[in-house]
Amino acid sequence: MFYLRYLRSELLGRRTRTILTLVGLALGVALVITITGLARGLDRAQKTALNPLSTIGTDLTVTLSPQQDTGGFGRGGGGGQVVQANQSAVTDLSKLGKPGTQFVHDFFLPGTQLTFPQKQTAKIASLSGVAAVSNGLVLSAVHQEGVVPKIVAKIKTGGQQLNIRRQIKPPTAAEAAAMQACFQKLGVGGGPQSGAQPGFGGGGRTGGGFDSPAARKCLPARMREFRARITTPQQTLKQVVSPPQTNIKSTSYTIGGIDPAQQSIGLVTPSQLSSGRFISKAGGHEVLVSAAYAKRKSLKLGSTLDLNGTMFKIVGLVRPPLGGQTADVYIPLAQLQKLASQKGLANVVLVRASSSSDVANVQKEIEQALGSGAQVASAKQVAASINGSLVDAANLSHNLGLVLAIIAAVAAFLLAALLTLSSIGKRVREIGTLKALGWSQRLVVRQVLGECLATGVAGGLVGVALGVLAAAAVGALGPSLSASSTTGTTGANDVLGLGQALARTASTSVSLTAPLSLSLLLFGFALALAGGLIAGGAGALRAARLRPADALRQME
Amino acid sequence: MTGELLYDVRNASRSFRRGDATIKALGGVDLTIEHGEIVALVGPSGSGKTTLLQLLGALDRPTSGQVFFEGRDLNTLADNELADLRLRALGCVFHTFNLIPTLNALENVEAKLAPVVLPADELRARSLALLEEVGLGDRAEHLPSQLSGGEQQRVAIARALSTEPRVVLADEPTGNLDSRTGAEVVDLLTSLSEERRHTVILVTHDAEIAEKTHRSIRMQDGRLLEPALL
Repeated sequence: MFYLRYLRSELLGRRTRTILTLVGLALGVALVITITGLARGLDRAQKTALNPLSTIGTDLTVTLSPQQDTGGFGRGGGGGQVVQANQSAVTDLSKLGKPGTQFVHDFFLPGTQLTFPQKQTAKIASLSGVAAVSNGLVLSAVHQEGVVPKIVAKIKTGGQQLNIRRQIKPPTAAEAAAMQACFQKLGVGGGPQSGAQPGFGGGGRTGGGFDSPAARKCLPARMREFRARITTPQQTLKQVVSPPQTNIKSTSYTIGGIDPAQQSIGLVTPSQLSSGRFISKAGGHEVLVSAAYAKRKSLKLGSTLDLNGTMFKIVGLVRPPLGGQTADVYIPLAQLQKLASQKGLANVVLVRASSSSDVANVQKEIEQALGSGAQVASAKQVAASINGSLVDAANLSHNLGLVLAIIAAVAAFLLAALLTLSSIGKRVREIGTLKALGWSQRLVVRQVLGECLATGVAGGLVGVALGVLAAAAVGALGPSLSASSTTGTTGANDVLGLGQALARTASTSVSLTAPLSLSLLLFGFALALAGGLIAGGAGALRAARLRPADALRQME
Repeated sequence: MTGELLYDVRNASRSFRRGDATIKALGGVDLTIEHGEIVALVGPSGSGKTTLLQLLGALDRPTSGQVFFEGRDLNTLADNELADLRLRALGCVFHTFNLIPTLNALENVEAKLAPVVLPADELRARSLALLEEVGLGDRAEHLPSQLSGGEQQRVAIARALSTEPRVVLADEPTGNLDSRTGAEVVDLLTSLSEERRHTVILVTHDAEIAEKTHRSIRMQDGRLLEPALL
């Protein structure tokens, strides 16, 4: 068909102009797709990371601060209790087992949150406007493993030399005869042999011998004295014992106890599962591990985790909400209470209000009911405590994302329109000629629109491809945005001096992506097409409405 | 010539606005042209020849006065009707050729024929036959940029004749050609038109070319120098 051949000839014959228009359209479309995709990505990241409590079915979290006495809600003891509990993290080597044996030991420390009897939550549950409550126990844990060291002290003794010099005058003949007579009388030996030292050594045949006290009396006085006891001077030996070589490794982590029977509200809920399954309602030796911790420790689904000597099977990986009472691992509450010797105790209560409008009232009621020691945090307050680049980017997105998307869309539309108008402006001569040949206005507009349509479709497709590539590049390069939230330090630094060490800083790193959808791609595509067609239609109509003489005159 | 009146121009004027000034390109022209006539509009630059030709070719409308074509007042016709008239009854040849640069010689001829709605084969056959008639059968696939000025003007003539118009209007068809080629082009145009009994109105500066026509109408300052009523 002639018109299609004409269209193709126009597009291919004016290649530079076509490519320029096409690239302009494509860039506009790609820009819209990428910016909108990025804004969506930020929005999504914000929803998951910055709106933490809504994902665990919770409106309020209640904890007890150790700053003040709790007025009966807590176990009492205030700061002292926490200090005492935290000081239990001292390794007593003597209790680890026999030297040389492998040991695994976990210390569970309450951190800066007071524990309280689980039963006390009934007080909260009974308040009006409270729809559901759930207990949790979040503890800081120190995991130690290694070989029990041998403690050996080597003490060297002996090697002392006693030098005695004493001139002993040999017995005279008379003394020798007296000695022999005395020995004979005692029935000891046959008397000293000639040349031998009388009185030394054995030689006696009988039990008394020369050494017997009676025989000693046969000796002359000066010889008797020599055989008396020699006492060396008394001394105290001191030896420095080197500390034993050990391979004990200490790692810290946080552990949360959840009520597996109550899955709609809790420290984590099934909606946070990134893989695997949730802890079965029956509980048991099952553990959920946060995806970040699993990655850090190379833990996989199905593998086991040794918690204070008890093996727990990893049944699921979770992405716990940021800013809430997060932990690295989660086990059934009863199991944690048993492991940490905290039977019947919890240190966080999660509360869901009957309706979102009730949250403020419920928060007030709980604060009043529990006294000033209770810290009741709403989702809004938790979100406000989160900081990091994700927050900055999300704020930026919130403030500028929509504006940027609109600017990009308008820019893309205008670019398409201007390029098309400019292209038509240069074709007035041709349009005048066509009209002079007898082409009707409708035919001229149709032909130009056909070209705009083709350019728009091609530009739109290239733009969509570029947009998809850009979004993929964003995902591949994965600029990460972080968000972190620190809990448990409030006031504790000053009071206990432990706060910094026991604070739980939960952080999450979200890889920025630019998620695309078919509707977004279609929108970008339609934008290029609409820009081209509207501008093309308007430009062509304006040129085609000129009298042929005027159009021909313009070209000269 | 058949004695049958084709054009009847009555006191036609055409003015243009340039800023605040009004330029009178044509002032009160009376003119009649018969079927089959070959007429030359001659005169110096700015005498109104092209403006008069555009009125006759239904490319423009007079500011005042009337232009009758085959008894129909062109002023009363809508744009679409004028377009149809240009398509079927008129053929234009311009001094700058005005070929579509992205179409080859054959397609340029087809561009005039296409709105007539012919089967694709017939469209092509007719266009090719016309190109052969103007001696360019072997250059049908060439783009205008690959053709000489004379060849381009021949393509333009083939294009103008493609719909078998009753009038061919040529605005200085030799303006961009050397004298020899220009003479050849005019000979071709007049001979083909005579064969087909077409009326030819051409604007020219060239006295020799004007002599080849049946009648020369001389113009100056937007007016005819002598009466041109038959």
